[in-house]
Amino acid sequence: MTTPPGADDRPTVHVHTEPMPTADPHTVRGGPHQPMLLADEFFMLAHDDQTGRPRLHDSATNYGLAAALLAELGAAGRIHFNRGQLVVQDHRPPEDWLQHMVLARLIAEPQHTATRTWLAYLSATAHEQVATRLWQGGKVVPTQSRRLFRTTTIHVPTDINVAAWSWARLSQKLRRHEHLKPFDLALAGIARSVRLDQFILDGAPLSVSAHLRRLLEAAPPPMRDLLADLDTAIGSAVLSHRT
Amino acid sequence: MSQSHPDTVSAVLARGRLGIPAVIFFVVAAAAPLTVVAGGATTGYAVTGVVGIPVSYLVVAAVLALFSVGYVAMSRRIVNAGAFYAFVTRGLGRPAGVATAMIAVVAYNAMQIGLYGGFGAVLSQYLNDRGWDTTWWLCALAAWAAVAVLGVLRIDLNGKVLAFMLIGEFVVALIYDVVMVSHPADGIKFDTLAPSHILATGIGAALVTAITGFVGFEGTVVFSEETKDPKRTVPRATYIAVAITGLLYGASAWAMSVATGPDKIVEAASTDGTDLIFNLVSPHLGSSFITVGRVLFITSLFAALLSFHHTVARYLFALGRERVLPAMLGRTSLRTGAPKAGSIVQSVVALGVLVGYAIADADPIVHLFFWITVTGGLGVLVLMTVTSASVIAFFARTANSDGPWRTKIAPVLATLALGAILTVTIQQFDTLLGVESTSPLRWAFPAAYAVAALVGLMWAGVLRSSRPAVYRAIGLGAESATAPIRTPDPVRQPA
Repeated sequence: MTTPPGADDRPTVHVHTEPMPTADPHTVRGGPHQPMLLADEFFMLAHDDQTGRPRLHDSATNYGLAAALLAELGAAGRIHFNRGQLVVQDHRPPEDWLQHMVLARLIAEPQHTATRTWLAYLSATAHEQVATRLWQGGKVVPTQSRRLFRTTTIHVPTDINVAAWSWARLSQKLRRHEHLKPFDLALAGIARSVRLDQFILDGAPLSVSAHLRRLLEAAPPPMRDLLADLDTAIGSAVLSHRT
Repeated sequence: MSQSHPDTVSAVLARGRLGIPAVIFFVVAAAAPLTVVAGGATTGYAVTGVVGIPVSYLVVAAVLALFSVGYVAMSRRIVNAGAFYAFVTRGLGRPAGVATAMIAVVAYNAMQIGLYGGFGAVLSQYLNDRGWDTTWWLCALAAWAAVAVLGVLRIDLNGKVLAFMLIGEFVVALIYDVVMVSHPADGIKFDTLAPSHILATGIGAALVTAITGFVGFEGTVVFSEETKDPKRTVPRATYIAVAITGLLYGASAWAMSVATGPDKIVEAASTDGTDLIFNLVSPHLGSSFITVGRVLFITSLFAALLSFHHTVARYLFALGRERVLPAMLGRTSLRTGAPKAGSIVQSVVALGVLVGYAIADADPIVHLFFWITVTGGLGVLVLMTVTSASVIAFFARTANSDGPWRTKIAPVLATLALGAILTVTIQQFDTLLGVESTSPLRWAFPAAYAVAALVGLMWAGVLRSSRPAVYRAIGLGAESATAPIRTPDPVRQPA
């Protein structure tokens, strides 16, 4: 159970030494050994690996998840990002139901081409959808949580090592100044846009942030394009915040 | 082409969009009407000794409405429209933009910090009247602590709370006005509304006092991307906000002069200070009406403090994002998304000023509240004058179909009017401060903006030669993230 899913080439890391919570066999559908998708990993990154409580404020999480969903389609060759516009290249439905659903919307409403528009649209629903996908994969269990008269649903990871794997991997690779594969680069880029790099690189020397910055500056143009739009969306949300 | 496709995207994005009333509530609450009526107008009479305060409010409302015509039209065509320096960058170039940004940072800080003096003085007096023994700076520091915490937590006053407070303030002010006008000292006289005051000595002081009362209305354009119909909602909300606050301020300042008699208003304001309006109505109203008014005065000051704090924090955030100021200022809090660094910087500056005033034992109302907020008002006047000129320059170069009234006539008239007010204000700054005409203070306050502008110009020069990528992104705010990989397109098609 400590070997992260879909990671033959990844070193095994034991990030927590305490006994692992055992997943309820009834809630595990699909099994925790299915490969994690980008939005799944970002979801794990944005929430506490033990309690499932958010590490980030809502709008950053939602925008980050929206960008991760688009990046999944980008990596699958279905869409392309160019100068703030999103172009559908391949109409074939992806295997994953959530990717399928997102792509279907993109195809059905071609009048909207701006990446910013799609980020805003997907951010409205991404949290629930990705949480559902993770639940179906047996990676989280929705739990009611009462805090200050409000009942909220938090998604508690079934396996703390799976949940902690994303940040542990990124943290280690970056601290060792290693090169990142496209998947990890996208994850690190989205994390940086939502400022989760503060968390992943906590206590690391400044040269590590500089390494990440250099990696992202050398990222493929479509990925940089998507990340720039994510940055802008998050910055604008700060500027026009109201309650 | 869009007819044949479903449009769930637009439907989802339209959720929670703002209408005209919501936008008005947000910006008028920042202007804090009861603060202006009970604090700004009375102190304005007392410090400047000018009786033309009421007509000044009306004149300024008219000028600002004129200014808004071009301002709103241009706001739909640029990115980062929440900040004056974005207009100036697009209209008059990047060096002028950075200079404007520096002026804005000083001006909004001054507005915010000056309000602490008003809050501290008013709250401590309220508490002392009820048997406490406190000082203005203790109360100001309590407010400071609350604002510093709320700023980092990114807690703004809830829209419903603001609306409730705002309506309360309007109702109280209007009741007071009716009471004052129905109990005139020597008949209802319109002396203080006479347009001849516009040409009287000291009018510059009165006009900038009036402008200070409106600061905050310019925030309507921040909401343009969040309104149901930006083309309609933002302009209307702006004009309505200017009109209703202008009428309320003018009417209330006039009503006070009726209740004291126009010849005695300056003297009465000097004696009673911010108590004037409450003292004038208390013989004719139940004590609960007075208490409600005093409490709303305090909450209104606090709402303004918090609102200007957020404004400064966001300015610093936008400038940090552009890397015009240190990138650290562009950092946000992980858990709350607050522009944390900007918020902390503002709080530290405010604390320094407060401690300085407390040690120097300066008067919180005259030396802190009035002097510093009108200095902030002067800065915003500079910003609006330069912005208005930028509107003319921008539309002269940009193809548009907005017609000559919005792109030429109104902006030219507004620039001339604002420029004239600015000139007389600086000429008469001694009257505004209530100091001798030989006092170096009369130059010290305006000089702060000259220094800020100069620093901005020089910094722009440094950026151009040493960090061209940053220089290119000036004025883009959050949008600057896209500058390194795309040619920045600061001009957008109007929504």
